[in-house]
Amino acid sequence: MEALLFNVDGGFLEGTVRGYKAGILTQSHYANLTQCESLEDFRTQLSATDYGNFLANEPLPISTATIADKATQILVDQFKYLRNNAVEPLSKFLDYITYAYMIDNVILLITGTLHERDTHELIERCHPLGVFESMPALCVASNVEELFQSVLVETPLAPYFRDCLSASDLDDLNIEIIRNTVYKAYLEDFYAYCGSLGGPTADVMQRILSFEADRRTVNITINSFNTELSKDERARLFPAIGRLFPEGNNQLAKADEIDQVRSVCENVGEYRQFFADAGSSSDEDSGILSQLEDRFFQTEVHLNKMAFLQQFQYGVFYAYMKLKEQEIRNITWIAECIAQNAKDRIQDFIPIF
Amino acid sequence: MSDDYPSLLRSEQMSLVQLFVPTEVAHDAVAELGELGNVQFKDLNPNVNPFQRSFVGEIRRVDEMGRRVRFFSTQIEQEKDVVPIRPLYDSAPLIVVGPRAPQAMDELDVTLAAHEQRLTQMNESYQKLSERTKELIEARHVLRETAVFFDKAHHQTDIRTSFDDSSAPLLQHDDRENQYSVGTGVQFDLEFVAGTIERVRVPTFERVLWRVLRGNLYMNHTDILEPFVDPVTGAETRKNVFIIFAHGDALLAKIRKVAESMGATLYPIDANADKRSESLREVEGRLEDLQNVLYNTGSSRRTELTKIGESLRSWQDVVRKEKLIYETLNLFNFDVRRKTLIAEGWVPTRDITTIQLALRHATSRAPACLPFYMSFTIMDSYGVASYQEVNPGLFAVITFPFLFAVMFGDIGHGFIIFVAALYMILAERKLARVDLGEIMGQFFYGRYIILLMGLFSMYTGLMYNDIFSKSLHIWHSAWDFPSNTTDTKIVGIDNGHRYSFGLDPGWHGADNNLVFVNSYKMKMSVVLGVIHMTFALCLQFPNHLKFKRPIDIYANFIPQMIFLQSIFGYLVICILYKWSVDWSKATTQPPSLLNMLISMFLSPGKVDPSEQLYAGQPFVQVVLLLLAAICVPWLLVTKPYLAWKDMHKIKEQGYVSISGEGDGNGIHRNSSDEVLEGEEEGNGRAIAEDGDDGEHEQHDFGEVVIHQVIHTIEFCLGCISHTASYLRLWALSLAHAQLSEVLWSMTLEAWLEPTGVFEWIVLIVMGVFWFVLTVFILCLMEGLSAFLHALRLHWVEANSKHFEGGGYAFTPLTFANPDSKE
Repeated sequence: MEALLFNVDGGFLEGTVRGYKAGILTQSHYANLTQCESLEDFRTQLSATDYGNFLANEPLPISTATIADKATQILVDQFKYLRNNAVEPLSKFLDYITYAYMIDNVILLITGTLHERDTHELIERCHPLGVFESMPALCVASNVEELFQSVLVETPLAPYFRDCLSASDLDDLNIEIIRNTVYKAYLEDFYAYCGSLGGPTADVMQRILSFEADRRTVNITINSFNTELSKDERARLFPAIGRLFPEGNNQLAKADEIDQVRSVCENVGEYRQFFADAGSSSDEDSGILSQLEDRFFQTEVHLNKMAFLQQFQYGVFYAYMKLKEQEIRNITWIAECIAQNAKDRIQDFIPIF
Repeated sequence: MSDDYPSLLRSEQMSLVQLFVPTEVAHDAVAELGELGNVQFKDLNPNVNPFQRSFVGEIRRVDEMGRRVRFFSTQIEQEKDVVPIRPLYDSAPLIVVGPRAPQAMDELDVTLAAHEQRLTQMNESYQKLSERTKELIEARHVLRETAVFFDKAHHQTDIRTSFDDSSAPLLQHDDRENQYSVGTGVQFDLEFVAGTIERVRVPTFERVLWRVLRGNLYMNHTDILEPFVDPVTGAETRKNVFIIFAHGDALLAKIRKVAESMGATLYPIDANADKRSESLREVEGRLEDLQNVLYNTGSSRRTELTKIGESLRSWQDVVRKEKLIYETLNLFNFDVRRKTLIAEGWVPTRDITTIQLALRHATSRAPACLPFYMSFTIMDSYGVASYQEVNPGLFAVITFPFLFAVMFGDIGHGFIIFVAALYMILAERKLARVDLGEIMGQFFYGRYIILLMGLFSMYTGLMYNDIFSKSLHIWHSAWDFPSNTTDTKIVGIDNGHRYSFGLDPGWHGADNNLVFVNSYKMKMSVVLGVIHMTFALCLQFPNHLKFKRPIDIYANFIPQMIFLQSIFGYLVICILYKWSVDWSKATTQPPSLLNMLISMFLSPGKVDPSEQLYAGQPFVQVVLLLLAAICVPWLLVTKPYLAWKDMHKIKEQGYVSISGEGDGNGIHRNSSDEVLEGEEEGNGRAIAEDGDDGEHEQHDFGEVVIHQVIHTIEFCLGCISHTASYLRLWALSLAHAQLSEVLWSMTLEAWLEPTGVFEWIVLIVMGVFWFVLTVFILCLMEGLSAFLHALRLHWVEANSKHFEGGGYAFTPLTFANPDSKE
C-alpha cells in the first residue's frame, strides 16, 4: 500500500538520503585513511571522498576538533536540507530525531551551569541540530521546577520533562536521573509515534528503537552498580519498550552484578554475543564494558544498515543520521590516532560498509 | 603516411610515447608540454595511493599556497569598494621554469605567507576596533533611547529636542505605558537593566523573561535603524535597544543572566539625566577617536589589498600551473636507481616533432593547433568514436538536418527556424559572452545545425508544397477544377501540364489528398530509410580496411549487404518502378507492394498474374529469397569458423616446435641457452605467460561465437524492424502537416475577410495568437519531437550498422584555463 503513495511526498527525500548514504566511507576508504602519516595526508585522502574540499580553506595545522566540527557541519547541512523539504508526517519524524540532540544539549547546559562553566563556551559545544532559540536561558535555572517553567515549557521536550519534576535539587546524580527519565520518555514517545505511522516505518524503526532502549537499560543497570541509586529508582529509568521488556527489565532491576546482566541478555538471541568470550572475573569489568560498548555500536550500525534494505519507509532517515554520526566518530578517532601517533589503536573504529 | 593532415572523417593519428626525463628537468619539461597542450599522460602507478606518490610534498605546498591565494581573492571580493585586480595579460610573468625555478617558488611562498600574515593581522586589529566601535555605537544608542524614554516619562521634552527628532515616533505607541510608569510616581528609583540585543531574539527574550520573572517586569525596546556589519564576514545584524524595569536584586541578577546568555550586551546607565548626558558626551568623544583609528587601519588594509590585487592573477596562474604539473609528475614512474622519471602518454602523431623540439629547447614556444572541430557533437553524446574509426558525426552534418526536415517539411516553419539560427550566428560574438542559461545555451550551442535544419526544412517544404499548411502555386497545376458545375462533387480534370517541382497544389483541399500524400510519404520514407541504412552499412567498409580485418569484410559486410539489398533494396526498386509506370494506361492493376513483399516470403515462386509488376517476377523473387536465406548461415558461421581455424593453426604450430626441440640435443641446448638469455634480459615473464594462452584463446573463441550469434540475430531482425522504424518519417511529417492545418483553420481562417472595425481587431488578435502558437507549438514543440526522432534514427537505426563508439576523448595536459570567462 505504501508503495502506491509513499513517493508522492517522500520519494524525493528518500532518494536524496539514499544518495547521501552512497557517500558513506567504505572499507577501502578507511584502509587508505589509516595509512596516512599526518593530518595533511588525511585531508588529501578525504578530499577524494564525498567530503570533498571541506577542509581546503582551513589554515594548517588542522586540529582534530576542526575535522569533527566540519564533518558534523556537513551532516547538519544535509539534515537541514531534508528537514526543509519534508512535509508531514516525515517532517514530524525528522523533528523527533532532533529531540534527542535537544535533550543532550539541555543536559549539557544544566551540567555546565552546575559546574559554573562559561555559558558561551557551553553553547558553542552544543550539537547544532539540538539548538532551540530559548536554549541559552537554561543557564538561569537553579532547580528543575524553574527549568521547566521558564524554558522547557515551550519546547517540544516539555511532555518528557513533566515526569521528572519531582527531583527538586540539581546535582550530578539528579541530572543523570533526569537525563535518563527524559530519554526514556522520549524513546517511548518516538516508539509510539513510529507505531502510529504503521507499515514498514514501524517495523524498521521499532526494531532500531527497541535495541536503543535495551542498550540504555543494560547501561543504566551496569552503571548503577555500587551507587546510591536504589533499585526502585533504577527500575523507573528503564524504557518500557524493547526486547528485554518486561521480564528482562524486571530481572535487571534486581541485578547486583554483571553476571546477572549476562544471563538476562542471553535470553535474547541477538544479544547473546554481547557477553560472549569475555572473562567473567570482576576485575576485568572495565575491559568488558568497553568491549560491550563496541559491540553495542556494531549492532547499532548493523541494524541501521538493515534499515536501508527496505524501501518506502522513514527508517532510512534515522539510520542515515546514526550511520553518519558513527562515521564522524570513526574519522575523528582515526584523526586523533594520527595526531597522537598512536598507530596501534588506529584500527579500533567501527567500519560501516 | 598519406593523411598527415587531420581529417574530419577519422580521429587524429595517435602515438604512444615514452619519455625518460631526468629528475632535475622533469618539472620544466612538463611545464613545456603543458604549454603545448597536446600530450595526454597515462597513470603509470594506478595502485599507489594519492598521498604515497613521489611529489605529494610539493603538491601539498602548492595547495597551501593556493589556499592563501584563495584567501586573498575572497578578501578582495568582500571589500565593498572594488579593489582593482590587474588582469593576467597585463602583469609581469613569474618565471617558475628554468634553473632559478626553486628559488622563485620559495620566494613566492615567502611573499604569500608574509602577505597573509599581514592581512590577518590587519583583519584582526580591524575587527577588534570595529568590535569596540560597535559597542560604543550601541552604547550611544542605548543612552539616546533611554534618555528619550526618561524624558518622556518626565514630560521634559524641551531639554533634549535634538534627540527626539530622530527617535520620538518609535515610542509613540508607548503612551499608555508611560502613563503607567509616571503614575506610580516613582522618581526613577526603580532599578533597571539596559542594553542591546539582536532583533530576531527579542520575542524569545521577552517571553523567557516573562516566565522567569512571572510577569514582574516592565520592558521596553526600540529598533536601531542602521544595521551593524560584521567586518570579516560582511553579514548584517539588526539590533534593538531594550530597557527593563524590575524590582529587587535577585530579579535584576536573573535578568542580567538571561540577557547575557541570550547574547545581549548590557550597558550601565545612570538614572540621573545629567550623568547620562555626560556619559553620552564621553562616549561620542571616544567614538570619534576610534573611528579615526579605524579609518586609518581600513585604508592601510586597503593599500595592502591593492598591492595584492596587482599580482593576484599571476599568482593564481602560477599556483594552478604548478599544481597541474605536480599532479602530472605524480603519474610518472619514478625510477630511484637511475634518477629518471618515466612517462607514458598519447600524443597526436603529427605533433611528435613539435614535442621533441619543445623538449630539446626548453625555451622554444611552438604554437599548438589541434584541429578545431565544428560544433556537431550529436554523435559524441552517443559515444566517442573508437581510435581511427570512421566518425559518423561527419555525415550526420547533412543526414541529420535532412531527416529532420523530412518530418518538419514546411517552408514557413523552416524559415522561422532558419531566421532564428541566422540571428544567433550573426550575433555570435555578443551572445557567446552572455550566460544564456541552460536551455537557451543548448539552442545557441547548436546554432549551426539549427541553421541547416531550417534550410532543409524549407527545401522539403517546397517538395511537400506546404507553407503554413497552405500551398504555393508557382507553376501550372496539372489539374483543372471546373467552376461552373452545380455538382456537390467536383472532379479535377487532367490538363496535360506537369507541375515541375514538388507536390501539385491541385491536391490541396482535395478529398483524396490524404490518401495520395500518405501513400507518397510512406513509400518515400521506406526509400530514404533503406538508403540511409545502406549508407551506414557501407561505413563498415573503410573501418575494416583501415584496421586490416579482411575477414570482417567477407564474413560480415558482404552477407549483411546482400541480405539487406535482396529484401529491402528490392522493395525500394519496386517502389521506384511502380512510380514510373503510368497505371491508367497499363493492362494490369497496380499491385500492392506490401502484399507482394509478404507473399514473396509466404508463397515463394508464385505471383498472381493480375498483380504482376513485371515479367519474370516470380523467378527474380525466388533468387533474391535464396540469396537472403544463404546470408544468414554465412553470417552466423563464417567468422567463428575462421577464428577456430586460426586457433587450431597456432596450436598445431606449437606442437611442431616442441617435438622439434626434443629431436636433437644440440637444438635443445641452443634453446635452453636462449631461455637463459631471455631470462637475463627480463623476458622470463613473457615466456611464462605463453602457457596460459591456450585457455585464454578458448575463452576468446566462445566469446566470438556468442557475439556472432547475437550479431546475426540482431542484424536480421533489425533490418525488418529498422525499416519499419523509418516509417516515423511519414508519421511525423503527416502529424506536422495536419497540426498546422488544424491551427490555421481553428484560428485565422474564419476571420480572413474582415468587413467592420471589430472584425479587423479580431483578425489582428487572432493573427497574433496564430503566430505565437505557430512558433511555440509547431516550431518549438514539433521541432523538438522531430529532432528527437531524427536523433533516434541516427543513433539506433544507422549507428548500430557500423559504429563501435568505444573511444574516449583526448584530454591532454594543458594550461589553458577552462573557465577563462570570468
